[in-house]
Amino acid sequence: MTGLATAERDALARTWGTPRGIAGFFTTVDHKRIGLRFIGTALCFLALGGALALMMRTQLARPDNHLLSPQLYNQFFTTHGTTMMFLFAVPVMMGLGIYLVPLMIGTRNVVFPRLVAYAYWVYLFGGIFLYSGLLLGNGPPAGWFSYTPLSETPFDPTKGSDIWAQMITFTEIAMLGVAVTLIITILKQRAPGMSLNRMPLFVWSILVTSFMVVFAMTTIAVASTLFLAADRLINTRFFVQQSGGDPVLWQHLFWMFGHPEVYIIFLPATGIISHLVATFSRRPVFGYTAIVFSTIATGIISFGVWVHHMFAVGMPELGLSFFTASSLIVTIPTAIQLFCWIATLWSGRPQWRVPLLFILGFFFILVRGGLTGVMLASVPVDLQLHDTFFVVGHLHDVLIGGAVFPLLGGLIYWYPKFSGRMASETAGKWAFALIFIGQNLTFFPMHILGLHGMPRRTYTYLASTGWGGLNFLETIGAYILAAGVLVTVANLILSAFYGRSAGNDPWAADTLEWATTSPPPPGNFAALPVVESRDPLWDPGGSEERPIVVGLPPDRREVLFTSALDAIPVRRIPLPGPTIWTFFCAVGTAIGLVMLIFTPWGLVVGTALAIPPLIIWAWPKAGGSA
Amino acid sequence: MIRSHPKSVDASQLPGEGFGVASPTWWGTLGFMVIEGSTLAVCAVAYVYLSRRSPSWPPSGTPLPNLAVGTLFIGASLLSLIPAWLLGQAAKNLDRAAVILWSIVGLVVEAVIVAIRAYELHALPFRWDGTAYGSAVWITLGSHTTLLAFDFGETLVLLALFLWGPIQKKHFADVADAVMYWFFVSLVWVPFFYMIYVSPRLFR
Repeated sequence: MTGLATAERDALARTWGTPRGIAGFFTTVDHKRIGLRFIGTALCFLALGGALALMMRTQLARPDNHLLSPQLYNQFFTTHGTTMMFLFAVPVMMGLGIYLVPLMIGTRNVVFPRLVAYAYWVYLFGGIFLYSGLLLGNGPPAGWFSYTPLSETPFDPTKGSDIWAQMITFTEIAMLGVAVTLIITILKQRAPGMSLNRMPLFVWSILVTSFMVVFAMTTIAVASTLFLAADRLINTRFFVQQSGGDPVLWQHLFWMFGHPEVYIIFLPATGIISHLVATFSRRPVFGYTAIVFSTIATGIISFGVWVHHMFAVGMPELGLSFFTASSLIVTIPTAIQLFCWIATLWSGRPQWRVPLLFILGFFFILVRGGLTGVMLASVPVDLQLHDTFFVVGHLHDVLIGGAVFPLLGGLIYWYPKFSGRMASETAGKWAFALIFIGQNLTFFPMHILGLHGMPRRTYTYLASTGWGGLNFLETIGAYILAAGVLVTVANLILSAFYGRSAGNDPWAADTLEWATTSPPPPGNFAALPVVESRDPLWDPGGSEERPIVVGLPPDRREVLFTSALDAIPVRRIPLPGPTIWTFFCAVGTAIGLVMLIFTPWGLVVGTALAIPPLIIWAWPKAGGSA
Repeated sequence: MIRSHPKSVDASQLPGEGFGVASPTWWGTLGFMVIEGSTLAVCAVAYVYLSRRSPSWPPSGTPLPNLAVGTLFIGASLLSLIPAWLLGQAAKNLDRAAVILWSIVGLVVEAVIVAIRAYELHALPFRWDGTAYGSAVWITLGSHTTLLAFDFGETLVLLALFLWGPIQKKHFADVADAVMYWFFVSLVWVPFFYMIYVSPRLFR
């Protein structure tokens, strides 16, 4: 390497770097650090939500158990579901997006790095807020969907449901900020030549997911922050029957968000799967175009199926038939994707490494969960099984099988990029075996218990029901599953110290994140790449012969803005650097939102505390970019 | 990697940030508008859903909101688009003095609009805690009022920037984006004016 190139690299590292130490911790705008923070924090919430699940499983291990009181059991299952959906699944996927998208599309940072930094702090404070409530005896008790009227003041006079509604505000502010940032980054900052039809499938999945976040999360934010929280704080009447309100309005709004939410979690997982299947089959994924259109179709159709969560509410027959049909239709694009992945494996030369094992686990469990979903889409079956453990088994098959298995495979797969080291293959195989066995032992018997009529969300059952045996088996399974997750986490932590050095591209994969060092330098690439195909690293010719972008000054935070469809370079855009004011703005937001569950003055205080830091963060520096 | 590759791209001659799609702020503003528009749309969904559940709408015994005040607001809001448009033109011409002038005019106009909205809320003949109808009207008006307040604050900060800050070309683009947001806040209210003030009179 020439001295000139080294000097340029050093200049890039200085320009895009984060201050060292504690200052850097609070001020960083590096998408890689923020993305890893989202992932790490989400995994901590996974552990907390998992601990709650283990306590519930221990309570249910035998009949007539009194380890948990009914009240505490209610708070636990509510906090468990809320944690897994809002604090784990969505943030972990979006965090992976924040980390990977700029690397995959060949740019140096996301378009609004400060907004993403702010979003992280708001998300973190929201999660801490929820658990503070639980520890102080004010856990939300009305289920992760917080159905009215159960969540209205007469039925929940504690602060639990207020905390739930406000936790939604925290996480939705965070996720909306991240989603908007990712959409614009993907549409406008792709490497020259990366037209939409060459974009990596994970980036496609994050693009569609981010659009879904914008529409779905806005719905729940309005329903909970403006309607439910206002009903509880200032006595509005949205869900109060005797004042002309309607509790069912809440159910509609919640599930208009809630079903897209399932796909907000599932679609990024499909993106992960496409990459893993292609890399470990040693061939480009089969049916790229079909997978892209399936992703988009799933995103759109998922907004038209929400009533299948409400079949037992009592609605016109015609409407029910429509939603049965749409719920069956939404399985078609997913099936297309499954066949594309199978075709890729079938026609490739599969290497059975740990990430691919998790994908095989995904196939088995998601297909089972999908089939029980088809059963539940049928109104007569649903009426029989509604609120039984059958549904619990189904949803955990879909969410763990559909999202957590690919996620864990993906974390092992991209771990060398995160850390520069390989995760242990042996530990990975043990973890997979434990999680796969645990998953089946825990959740398959739930279907049988549900068919026998065991109700969900009930803290115990009588010995005379005969449900004790299967419940005991499920509890053992839950501990095995937890052990598998622990092995994975230990693997991820210990391999950072003891793993063998990875090099740039340990899996010989095809996409741009593998073109740079592991971990990547602050500015991601020594020179921004130019792309000529869908699998740039599999193009003929070595890394020395690939085209690059020249002429961007290394001493300024500048990236390329390219056209949305064909990624033709059109502008040089300055990006902002580190700042402490995003943190202070998030603190002000948090103080205001916490106050708001006690008094409407929280709005005034929050605005007064959050706006000045926002103005300072946006105020341009003399001579530099804002 | 070699710089002389025939497909390599030389970015040194590319222009910097511009107006509209060439500005990240424009895209961010668009995202913000989509979110705010969806927020108001969900308010409308609740309003319409609750109206279908009620035998009469507004519920019997609840007076209708004052049409004159509502019309005054929407009229003033739409008229404010004239100074808003002039502000946008000043920004596009990179004319700092004109931007400052029309920002000051815009601020006065926006202050008047916020004052009319305050009166509009004051003049509502029902509270938010009596019926679900009252809740839906108050929350819809309230949501839109936060947008007005945000718009006012944005104009104020940009004026301060143009008076005292270091100005680059991109800040003229920021003003143009703020004007786009102003248009959004004004125009988005038209269907809601119809929903709250006109439709209950037509379909009572």
